[in-house]
Amino acid sequence: MSVSLQPEAINVAAEYAELIGDEPGAAVATFTGYVRGHAEGQALTALELEHYPEMAQKVLLSLGKTAVERFKLSRWRIVHRFGSLSVMDSIVWVGAVAEHRGEAIAACEFMMDTLKTDAPFWKREQVGAGEQWVARRDIDIYRRKRWQGEAQ
Amino acid sequence: MNITIKLFAALREALGESELKFELSEVSSDAAPADVAAVKAALANRGADWREALYQPNLVHALNHKVVFTDAVVSEGDELAFFPPMTGG
Repeated sequence: MSVSLQPEAINVAAEYAELIGDEPGAAVATFTGYVRGHAEGQALTALELEHYPEMAQKVLLSLGKTAVERFKLSRWRIVHRFGSLSVMDSIVWVGAVAEHRGEAIAACEFMMDTLKTDAPFWKREQVGAGEQWVARRDIDIYRRKRWQGEAQ
Repeated sequence: MNITIKLFAALREALGESELKFELSEVSSDAAPADVAAVKAALANRGADWREALYQPNLVHALNHKVVFTDAVVSEGDELAFFPPMTGG
């Protein structure tokens, strides 16, 4: 039931243990995102993640609360990194505990799809000798919209 | 009657500033409170680089950490942020 914004690596095993606690719910789903080694066909050497700390905290907390209402979660957690990252570093981790697998899996997908477009983080890629800000992709907007206007 | 302006990512880089104070009375009166559009217009007067950055397509406006449209009313002590579409996750 919490959010962590952190520069350090995500300890996935510790996060998972903390999420399930002493009594794992019937259904536990998690998602871990890693830094891809390529961007539009070019090798990526590093990634810088800028964020707006106060707003990111609020948006992600609100997102978790919405996921609880929508998917009847008993527990959830969102961890997002900022700062300098290397290829194959973990960048984001979400976890959801529910009564059934459908809700737990959907909650992770909902949290990921929503945070991609709504949480104030910006990626800057180092590709070869150059650097570029990552542009929002249409697929991310599409995936976010799928969750709007659906039956609760 | 100050508000805080924050700029992030490509906007921060293009304008060379991440945070500045803005005197709200420049664009508002008791009879006509300022909205985000008015603050933006005043900031755009700082130069072509500001104008270009603040009127780029898909610019996001956040008032006190919430995404808003440009008709949102701005009050003393508010924090108004401008940034490009978010690309986290």
